[in-house]
Amino acid sequence: MILEEILSIFLGIFTDYTLRYVALGSAILGITSGALGCFTVLRKQSLFGDAIAHAALPGIGFAYLFAGTKDSLVLMLGAAIFAWFGGMITLAITSTTRIKQDAALGITLSVFFGLGIVLLSYLQSIGGASQGGLDRFLFGQAAALIESDVINLGILSALCFTILILFYKEFKITTFDSSFGQSLGFPIKYLNVLLTSVIVVAVVIGLHTVGVVLMVSMLIAPAAAARQWTSNLKNMIILSAIFGGLSGIIGSMISSTAEGMSTGPVIVITITAILGISFVFSPKQGYLFKHLRNQRKSQISLDNIKTISDKEKENHGNI
Amino acid sequence: MEQKSSKKNSESEKEYSVIIKNLSVTYRTEPALWNIDLNFPKGQMIAIVGPNGAGKSTLIKAVMGLVPITAGKVSIFGKTYSKNRDKVAYVPQRGSVDWDFPTDALDVVEMGLYGKLGWFRRPNSKTRNLARECLDKVGLSNYADRQIGQLSGGQQQRVFLARALAQDAQIYLMDEPLNGVDVITEKTILSILENLKKEGKTIVMVHHELQTVDKYFDWVVMVNRNLIANGPIKEVFTKINLDRTYQEKQRMSI
Amino acid sequence: MKKPILVGTIVIVAILIGISAIFVQNNDDAKINHIESPDSYSEKIAITTTTNVITDLVENIGGDHVSVTGLMGPGVDPHLYRPSASDVKSLQNADIIFYNGLDLEGKMGDIFVKIGREGTSVLAVSENIPPESLLILDANGNFDPHIWWDVELWTEAAKVVATGLKEYDPNNSENYEKNLLEYLNQLDSLNSNNLNKINSIPSEQRVLVTAHDAFQYFGHTYGFEELAIQGWSTDSEAGIKEIQNLADEISKRKIKALFVETSISPATIEALKAAVQDKGHDIVIGGELFSDAIGEKGTAEGTYIGAFTHNIDTIVKALK
Repeated sequence: MILEEILSIFLGIFTDYTLRYVALGSAILGITSGALGCFTVLRKQSLFGDAIAHAALPGIGFAYLFAGTKDSLVLMLGAAIFAWFGGMITLAITSTTRIKQDAALGITLSVFFGLGIVLLSYLQSIGGASQGGLDRFLFGQAAALIESDVINLGILSALCFTILILFYKEFKITTFDSSFGQSLGFPIKYLNVLLTSVIVVAVVIGLHTVGVVLMVSMLIAPAAAARQWTSNLKNMIILSAIFGGLSGIIGSMISSTAEGMSTGPVIVITITAILGISFVFSPKQGYLFKHLRNQRKSQISLDNIKTISDKEKENHGNI
Repeated sequence: MEQKSSKKNSESEKEYSVIIKNLSVTYRTEPALWNIDLNFPKGQMIAIVGPNGAGKSTLIKAVMGLVPITAGKVSIFGKTYSKNRDKVAYVPQRGSVDWDFPTDALDVVEMGLYGKLGWFRRPNSKTRNLARECLDKVGLSNYADRQIGQLSGGQQQRVFLARALAQDAQIYLMDEPLNGVDVITEKTILSILENLKKEGKTIVMVHHELQTVDKYFDWVVMVNRNLIANGPIKEVFTKINLDRTYQEKQRMSI
Repeated sequence: MKKPILVGTIVIVAILIGISAIFVQNNDDAKINHIESPDSYSEKIAITTTTNVITDLVENIGGDHVSVTGLMGPGVDPHLYRPSASDVKSLQNADIIFYNGLDLEGKMGDIFVKIGREGTSVLAVSENIPPESLLILDANGNFDPHIWWDVELWTEAAKVVATGLKEYDPNNSENYEKNLLEYLNQLDSLNSNNLNKINSIPSEQRVLVTAHDAFQYFGHTYGFEELAIQGWSTDSEAGIKEIQNLADEISKRKIKALFVETSISPATIEALKAAVQDKGHDIVIGGELFSDAIGEKGTAEGTYIGAFTHNIDTIVKALK
């Protein structure tokens, strides 16, 4: 019975307009943030993605304020500009002052997010459907995705992957050994800016589905999960994209089963579950197999000790 | 006592691969290196020694422009570093990298060829084979597929050397490559470097162990923010110079 | 190269913060500015209201004797509205506060209680409506607060306002009574006009599909069924299942039009429309309705009667 239900929901992805585009939009987000998130996680800059995502909020507000339109593209442009600014300011603070990265991230995140909330309360009082405009980007409103939205998201995602493919080895070397890369002549600072920019695009994609607050998990969890299964960067990126995409689709499916279930948070729960499974069950690094291997090792040690002590007893016995 | 420097012809480009004039590097308000005038002779094994914080790593990084230079000039075979960077190979400290990064030994060595590939071109079978050859030279051909975090310290160091070999450079700038490695690795590295030296290449190494300086090296640079001494081992590596180098950190007046 | 960029960006951000602060200040100043002219200072009662439909009501009953500050303008969503510091000041400076009640101003409940304790007259215009006349919307037994779309219930609200004013300012009781009776007449005409117009819509088409459940009382009075994506409060989430269910229902019943609301983002309605069209049913957006707020002051839709008429005309045009 449950299987039938699952099957019918799964078919719904193809047949039902709403579920199709929500699942597609969420999958696009998952794939993009999964792939790019690998770099933020490997650079130990996961919270950087969080600061960028929070910085997008005032951008949406200002876009509405100055453009006066609720057009999705305009709002996304505003979000992108401010998210980018947030990223650049963080980079600038770390490189020109004594402030370390975690403090710089905290500063950027709180200032921009605070600015966004102030803007929100201002906009709520001038009205004009502004409340619906800003609030829904806090946690996303995946249910409102339509075909044109998803096409836009697809274009943005294609842009991200084009850059990722073109600059793959450059991103790899700046992440692994940036001074060596610099010695080869690669402009590390510009590559960092480029990578930040692509992450900004990923964040903009995520605004619709998971929103500003939860976006960081889509950058971190798929990559962390993928790392448990492979030690090859290319495979990690592919696997992470798959995990992200899957969580988008499954999350959408689950949230369509009951009334009032927000899609964004369910997607995040799904990817967290995938992460948890990876931590426990992955053959090389997973907790379960490590535990079994340690048990076996202890067992082997115990057996060896027993053999030795048996032999000793034998020897002493014979004498 | 004056510093001794064995410059026969001052700034003769035929004899020196790297010429450093009046180099100063300042981190914010702290001077890390001050007024360094120094030449690296071609085809020699050169050690850079000094106490902690003396600016040894900073010196080689400054040669490559990896740290901003406050004053002074560096020339590589008569040209600026950016024009001649393909002639220089850098082997950074082992600790400067996260060895948990998902990549294998062969991949790291192949990274040495990224400079020659340039933008947008991707690694191919040619680069793979070249990388394999270099891994061979350091005795790690069986470890090509090993994830780098699973290599021993000595093996990791050899991977770095293989990467530098892949660059086919004229000058090798190495930051403490013999630090914390096993005996086999040390022997392997030194023998490879000897061969490079025979080919006329310049080897510059920040070295941590004073006892082995006269065994392994021809030339020594003794630095403690200032240049204390610079020249052939026999002339320059003296107790007086050692005392001067390893006394209290030089205080600079700004 | 880096420092100028850092400095430049900080300056830009500071300027933006400054601009938004000025905007907020100007907006708040406009709201606090309920002292109109020096010579009328001692005469007018300072009243603070929440939604602009209440502002309109109080101005009609109070006439020249009152100076009304409405916290929420046109297009403002009262379910999610959080009062700013200057809003709280307006509330504290008021002689009388009129709000809707029944949890319409979902985020403001505490502040009314607090100010009420300080002695100000805080009146919910819905307070005299007997529970039998209220509609229950959800499983928890909460009452639907959107009472103003039922003319008879709004009549009760008008009486609450009149009584409140008379108590505070007994000298002008007669004036308030006169204004009340006049206004009740107007409301009566409105109701009959509405009924006449509605008659032209066939019964199968008497379904109102909106973003949130604001029209139950409207439906109850004029024989409409209300279908909404979100519940009675915009605080709830619009989920996939709601849109799917509605899309099914709408295309099955071949409903002609959907309606967007002035105080809510049209995104969910657009999504619903796309889903319905995908099922092969040609549906349009019939127009924009005033749901939680009426129109801009000074326009035709800036009064309760004007906005109601606009709604009726829009609905009739789309569905008949």
